[in-house]
Order: sequence, then C-alpha cells, then structure tokens
Amino acid sequence: MNDSNPACDADTDEGSIVARAQDGDLAAFEHLVHTYQDRLFRLAYRMLNDRTDAEDVVQETLTASWRALPMLSDVKAFGGWIYRLATNKCLDLLRKRSARAETITDPAEIHSTLDDGATRAPLEADPVASAEWAAQQDGLTTVLNTLPAVQRACWLLREIHGRSYAEIGVTLKINPTTVRGTLARARRRIAEGMSQWR
Amino acid sequence: MALEDTRRLGCGRSIDQIWAGMDQPPTSHEEDCELCQAAKARMQKIKEATVALRESDLHNPEMTLPAERTNSIMALARAEARRSKRLVLRGTEYGTVEISEQALSSLIRLAAAAIPGIHSRRCRIEVQSDAEMGSTHLTINLRVATASGIDIPATVEGLRQKINKAIPAGVGIDAGTVNITVEDLYDV
Ligand SMILES: [Zn+2]
Repeated sequence: MNDSNPACDADTDEGSIVARAQDGDLAAFEHLVHTYQDRLFRLAYRMLNDRTDAEDVVQETLTASWRALPMLSDVKAFGGWIYRLATNKCLDLLRKRSARAETITDPAEIHSTLDDGATRAPLEADPVASAEWAAQQDGLTTVLNTLPAVQRACWLLREIHGRSYAEIGVTLKINPTTVRGTLARARRRIAEGMSQWR
Repeated sequence: MALEDTRRLGCGRSIDQIWAGMDQPPTSHEEDCELCQAAKARMQKIKEATVALRESDLHNPEMTLPAERTNSIMALARAEARRSKRLVLRGTEYGTVEISEQALSSLIRLAAAAIPGIHSRRCRIEVQSDAEMGSTHLTINLRVATASGIDIPATVEGLRQKINKAIPAGVGIDAGTVNITVEDLYDV
C-alpha cells in the first residue's frame, strides 16, 4: 500500500496523476475522486433532479473509472472520459424512468415520471431542493427540466461545465455541428420558457 | 420568440456568434448595429440566469457529494486494489527477500519528486534473477512528463542518478537498467 507516496502535490499535472492511478496508486486515484466528485454531482443533480439518484450515478461512475482506468490510453483524456461516463449513466437512468412511466397505470405515478422523469417533484426533505428555491425564481432550472434529456445534457455540459463541442459530441455520439444545433434549440426553448415564467 | 439560431441577423451575424460574445464587451460592429444589440439584449437574461445557476451551484455546500459516498468509493478501490506484483530480490538457502512492485515504484517516485521539472507517470519493474549466481538484475521502465522549457537530457540524467542512489539505499541492490521515457510535456 502506498497511500503516502508523493503522488499528488498541488502542482502535479493531471496526466501524471492519472498515470499513477493507472498503476494502482490509491493516493493518486483519491486525488482524482476529490477533483471530480462535486462537479459530477452538480451535473448529475441537474440532469436527474433527485439527490439519491445523483449520488448513485457519481459513485458508480467513479467506481467504474477505477476498474477501467488501465484501459484509458490517453491520460490527458481523463476529464472528458469521466464526464462521458457520468452523462451516459444519467441518460440511461432517465430512459429507464420514462420506460417505467409507460408501464405505470397509477396517474399520480405517471405524473411523477413525465418528461424523462426530470420534473418529478423533489422530496421535501431534500436540502438541495429547498436551498435552490431562490435560484429557481428566474425560472431557468424549471425550464431546464422541461428540455429533452439530450438537450439538457448539452446545455449543462457546455454552459455550466464549459466542456468542448468536440467532447460533448463524443459523449452524446453526435457530431460537433449537431451539438451546436442542439444547443441552439435548447437556447430557444429556454428563451421561450423563461419569457412565459415572467 | 424569434430566436432563429441557424438564420443570420440582417447584418450577417449569426445568433451563435452573438451568444459566444455575450460576456465580452461589444465589438465595434455591435456598438453600431441595432440588430445585434437587440439580439444581445434578448439573450442577456438567459446568460445571466445561466451564470447565476453555475455560481450558486458551485458555492452551494449542499451541491457536493457526501463524505460517506467518497468513503465508499475509496473503500471499494482499496478492496479491489490491483494486486501488486511481488518481486524476488534475493533468494538464499534460508529464504527469499521479496518486495512489492508498488513499494519499489514508490521509492522511484520519491526520487523523481525530488527533481524539479519531472512528474513521474507509469512505472514498470522487471527482475531477472540468477539463482546459481545469487544475483538479481532490475530493469526499471519509468515514464515521465517534464516541464516545458527545461533541459530534458540533463534533467533525465539527474533523475537516473537519483534513482541509481535511491534503490541501493532503500533495498540494498543495484538499480540495474533504468529506462526513462519522456512521454509528455506539462505547462508550468
Ligand atoms: Zn449586427
């Protein structure tokens, strides 16, 4: 066990940390977990609107990354790769939710899983949900939750997380031009939604 | 709302161009162009709400992964830690001296950490043992990234010497063959 090895002082470049984690260095992996866990949580929460689901996705993503790390050929691609894993887990979960919605007969439950499941009401005990009430006043989060899942992912990855068009394209398996088009559609829908909200 | 992103404004600018320049001061064209100004004003609200959401999420202590989740991730990683190769350094009639590849590579990484301008990366170690002669020969294959702008040959030579001292000091055998590959440059 080499948790004490000098893996990760603040100025070590990420590529080197990734390479050490690929060698099985737990301290290096822990450094990566701390670097990415909150970013991924913010993405997953905005995608899924459910605290527990978002935590599950982040935990599964980072665990899967430990297992798959040795297969990553370009150490500099780690950031894009981990965002891709997390985004696709969110999209899978939303697909499952909407598939479930189609087979549910209880109207209350149907309501709670509409729109890719993203608009289902957060639990009252959910501290994130109550803390964000102020932010919701401008209507953006409400409108975001009405977007189709892929549009929402596009918007969050680009406008909130600053990921590149090329990377988003790889993540969503669409070309960069389509990414731009999808973002434009999202922007139009957000503009429409926000003007209704006012 | 007439936000036709694929279409261009009458002045030839596309909505995408205007959106991309939202957080920059107006260009000289935009200063004179009412079409651009109107489009910018329409999108201003979305831009502001997006920045507000990004900032409030970023600074909201609730928007973080709880510590018990981090602990679970690390506990599982530890449980599934890739089993480190055992390297037999010396075989004697009374028994063998073994060291894990990870312990040995830790020594090497420590040596590398002492050299400015070097970040160690993957490290592979092979041992050739000759039982009859009682001798052991190590081959160390270390990949590194170096700071851009440094004297690479001199720095790599310094690293090799450092490893050549650190291995005998740490485990009592020669470092053997030390192959260092510079696979990347990092910006300082
Ligand atoms: Zn113009």
